[in-house]
Formats: sequence, structure tokens, C-alpha cells
Amino acid sequence: MDQNNSLPPYAQGLASPQGAMTPGIPIFSPMMPYGTGLTPQPIQSTNSLSILEEQRQQQQQQQQQQQQQQQQQQQQQQQQQQQAAAAAAQQSASQQAPPGAAGQTPQLFHSQTLTTAPLPGTTPLYPSPMTPMTPITPATPASESSGIVPQLQNIVSTVNLGCKLDLKTIALRARNAEYNPKRFAAVIMRIREPRTTALIFSSGKMVCTGAKSEEQSRLAARKYARVVQKLGFPAKFLDFKIQNMVGSCDVKFPIRLEGLVLTHQQFSSYEPELFPGLIYRMIKPRIVLLIFVSGKVVLTGAKVRAEIYEAFENIYPILKGFRKTT
Amino acid sequence: MAKDSNLDALPRVTCPNHPDAILVEDYRAGDMICPECGLVVGDRVIDVGSEWRTFSNDKATKDPSRVGDSQNPLLSDGDLSTMIGKGTGAASFDEFGNSKYQNRRTMSSSDRAMMNAFKEITTMADRINLPRNIVDRTNNLFKQVYEQKSLKGRANDAIASACLYIACRQEGVPRTFKEICAVSRISKKEIGRCFKLILKALETSVDLITTGDFMSRFCSNLCLPKQVQMAATHIARKAVELDLVPGRSPISVAAAAIYMASQASAEKRTQKEIGDIAGVADVTIRQSYRLIYPRAPDLFPTDFKFDTPVDKLPQL
Repeated sequence: MDQNNSLPPYAQGLASPQGAMTPGIPIFSPMMPYGTGLTPQPIQSTNSLSILEEQRQQQQQQQQQQQQQQQQQQQQQQQQQQQAAAAAAQQSASQQAPPGAAGQTPQLFHSQTLTTAPLPGTTPLYPSPMTPMTPITPATPASESSGIVPQLQNIVSTVNLGCKLDLKTIALRARNAEYNPKRFAAVIMRIREPRTTALIFSSGKMVCTGAKSEEQSRLAARKYARVVQKLGFPAKFLDFKIQNMVGSCDVKFPIRLEGLVLTHQQFSSYEPELFPGLIYRMIKPRIVLLIFVSGKVVLTGAKVRAEIYEAFENIYPILKGFRKTT
Repeated sequence: MAKDSNLDALPRVTCPNHPDAILVEDYRAGDMICPECGLVVGDRVIDVGSEWRTFSNDKATKDPSRVGDSQNPLLSDGDLSTMIGKGTGAASFDEFGNSKYQNRRTMSSSDRAMMNAFKEITTMADRINLPRNIVDRTNNLFKQVYEQKSLKGRANDAIASACLYIACRQEGVPRTFKEICAVSRISKKEIGRCFKLILKALETSVDLITTGDFMSRFCSNLCLPKQVQMAATHIARKAVELDLVPGRSPISVAAAAIYMASQASAEKRTQKEIGDIAGVADVTIRQSYRLIYPRAPDLFPTDFKFDTPVDKLPQL
């Protein structure tokens, strides 16, 4: 946790996402998801954790999260001073440090262990000075963070239970399960605790939707696996992966969508006949944003939370530029 | 044609006095005449042009000198193939009444789908009386999309309808999706999907639709006089400028403006009639009307003659 507080000293001019423990791995390496503040740490294999332990972990993480947020706020103030001092020269796109990324727990949310341990003493090499105005990232002026954190609304995850299932027996014996083979070839099961829905297929694969956080999604998937296990199938918990995350937030001012579509033509699609919102396909974190006249923004297509935060930090200055003045 | 052959090949005959002179053909006598001295160099030259004396009384529709359809070189890679027509005499049918020569297929297999689509485009455009330039633009767009093959899995009719929509937009006379739906068998959803895919594939973009684009069409379909049309255009433009209708589709705003203008004039139209013409539900018109009603006096043009004064406009 200490590593989160210490920023590399040279990072005053260059972008440095808060809390980045970035090793000497360039942004575009597959190990480093989008070069953001996601700080992967190796944890022990969680395939065998029981549900109770997961719940306890979740509570601990929530407490840590709150502590983290306080620390990050202090950090934010420090960084604002630094950025103001470094102002002019390096106007690179990756300066949009997602402060919200620090709000997440530094622990991994998926079971695979990423072993990108931070190498001590190395300074991160950002390609950002070499690509000052890439067309893929919306060009934005240096500004302070928006202070708005997108809230996650939905997480879709998949897991492999590792054995063939007989959907008919599951549908007959489990509670809150519906199965209509003529309409859809899977059992639709719902649980109340993390309010989620699961599609369970006969191959043993399962899709879990409706959770509001990564841990809840994992917990819910485990609960479904437990249900299937109790019905007599040798269910395992293999390859849990989060496939999609949806977040939403409100910028609190109306937006001129016509102006936005004129200037960002290559990324935006605004057809009032088809959909009342503007569909902005951001390339740098590959996220699709639905931007509405009221100022509400929906972000989707993310695999990790940091992408949502980064995308919002990228779009916020642009939206400020298209604020409706009346 | 025969005239061009003067420039193509060297004339096999030249004037003995003027070997450099280009001989002029006289069609009437079939002579080749030297323009310098007037010497007839070659006479009774066979004219390779078409038979210019077609007798109009018999078989008036068919001109035996013209073979093949008009060429479409831009689109179908040249259409030089010909086919044997259906037989007319008794000998062309065998004992069961089927025609003996049946092979009318395998004409241009590579472009068959494209020609089919062009036919479909022409049919669709004809239903809403679109001018030839839009049809040509649509054909070009379809050809580009077809050659790119990125949308190969989609129904050709869907791509054709979307190309028609894009062509109308690009020419500055947009048609609503519902209008294109009305002349096509494809659903609005599918046309919208293909529209977005085509824009991405061809890397083009189209201008945003405005309320004024539809005014003249909707108003003429409703048989409204010019003053009402101008008033409705003005109302819709002012409503958008004053941001009274944020987030509303321009079609709905246009329909509400037409309703307000028509209700203030002698030619009143009901919401249902306007909704039928514009393709919007009458509750939608009602919603947009409610938004512009409070500022009605500011929206009308200054020189508008009110048949019903502004305060007596219907309030719903």
C-alpha cells in the first residue's frame, strides 16, 4: 500500500496516473492494461475459496477502499499543485490521470494471477511525449480532475463449471429457475443476495449478469455454482472472467450534441431518428459512451474498472467544451 | 462510329494531290472527298454506321439496328453480352408448349446480384419520385459497398435501402427512415444498422438533419399554403435556437411547428393528419407542442397573418 503513495519524482512533467506503481513496462504491453492506475498484485489462487471467506474479504476490501479514498484525496491535492507547477510543456493525452482509479481496491478482481510485480527503482517509460496528439485519443487540454466518479451499474461475467449439466433437473429442482428450451437453450436462475441473474448452459458454462461490482459478480457466480453443486453435479469454478462493465454518471450540465458530433465526427454517431443519445466510440480505452442532452453519460464495454474511469476523464473536458450556455 | 474511323486508322486512300489531307466522308453519296481540292477519292464506300432508314410503320417498338441495352459502364463493368430472345414462331415451342431454347440465364453472373440491386433501387426510388441524380448516387454507393465486401452477410435489399437513405442525405434532401421503410421491405431497425455500418465501411459521414429539410415536403403533402410553410419553418428554427425542445427528434419538432402554424392559419390540420404524413405518433406531436406552446408569440414570424390569434391556439 505504501507504494501507492510515492510518486516517481520525475513524473511532474509527464503523466503519471495516481497510484501507479508502474514498472518499466510500456503502456501498450499486454501485461499492463492500458497503462492506467490498475496496480495488479499477485494474490493466491482463489479457485478454492469458500463463499464465506469471499464475503469476509469483500468487507475488508470495502474498509480498505474507504481508507484508500481518503489517502487518494490527499494525493490529489498534492498532484494538483505539481501539475499546476509543470503546466505548459508536456500536453500529452495520457495526462488525464484517472483519480477514480485510485478509488478501487488494489487487489485483483479476477482469479488469474498477474505477476507484474513492480520493479523497484525503475522509472516508468511512457511513450506519451512521442505521441502528443494521437488521433485515437480525444485531444484535451490539461485540466484538473472532474471530481465525478462513474458508478458501476452492471457487470457481466462468465465462468466455466467444468462439467456437463442436465438443465431439466436443474430447472425442476432449483428454486427461482426458469427453463424454456423452445425459446432459449439455457436455464435462467436468479438469486436475491447480490441481485443477479445467471444463464446456465448445458455445456457447463454460465453467464452471470446484474451485479454492481466485481466482487459481487464473483460472489454471485460462486453462489450459483454452489446451487448447481448441491443439485448433485460436480461443479467447479474455472476461468471466472469479467466480460463487460457498465457505468453511468452525470456531468450536471446540458450538452450540445450537435457541436460534439461536428468536431468529433470520426468517433461520434448522432442520429436523433435512431437514438436520442450520441454514441461516442473512444479508441484509447476501447469504450463506448452514450452521451445525452441532459448531461447523463453511460459508459460500457470495459473489462476493468479503470477503463471506465479513464474514459470518463478523457471525455469530461470535451463535454465541458460543449456545455449549453443558455 | 464511322466518323471516328477518320481519326483512328490511317485512311487507306489518300488524295493524290494532298496526301496529308484528311478525307471527308459524304454519307449521302458514299464518297470520300478531299477537302482541299474537292477530288472524290473513294466512292461507293460502305457505311458502317447504323441503318438510318428504319420504317416506322411495322414493328414500331423494335429498332432492329439497335442491339443490347444502354451501357452502364460505370457500374456493371460494361455490359457487352447479348442473349437470345424468346421465340415467336410455332417452331420455337416443343410438343408440351415449353419453349425449346431455354437458356436465358448465365448472362453476367458476377454482377447479377448488383444488377438486381440496381433494379430494386430504381423501383424504390420510383415509388417516392426521387430524381435520377439520387438514384445514380445510390448506385455508386451500392457498388462501393458491394466491392468492399465488408457487409457481405447483410441482405442486399437492406444495403440498397440504406444506400438510398445516405444518397438522399448527401444530396441535401434527406428522407426520414420511415419514408424509406415505406418503399422497402426492410425494417427500420435493419436499415439503421446497415446505415451505420456503411458509413463506417466507406469512412464517410453525413450532415445532421435539421427541421427545415422536411418542411416543404410535409407541407405540400398536407396541401398547406406557402405562408403556413414559411411560418412553420420559422417556428421550428426559432424553437431549436431557443432550445425549447432539447433532445427531441427534428422530425417531431417540425411536426409540432406545422401543427402550430396550421392551427394559427385558416388551413387547420389535426395532429393525426400531420402524424400520418410525418411518420410520428400524435402523442409525440402533442409532447413537442406542449414544449413550444408557452413561447408561441415569439416563434411566429413578424409578418404572419393570424387567422386564429396566438392566445386562441389549442392548448393540449
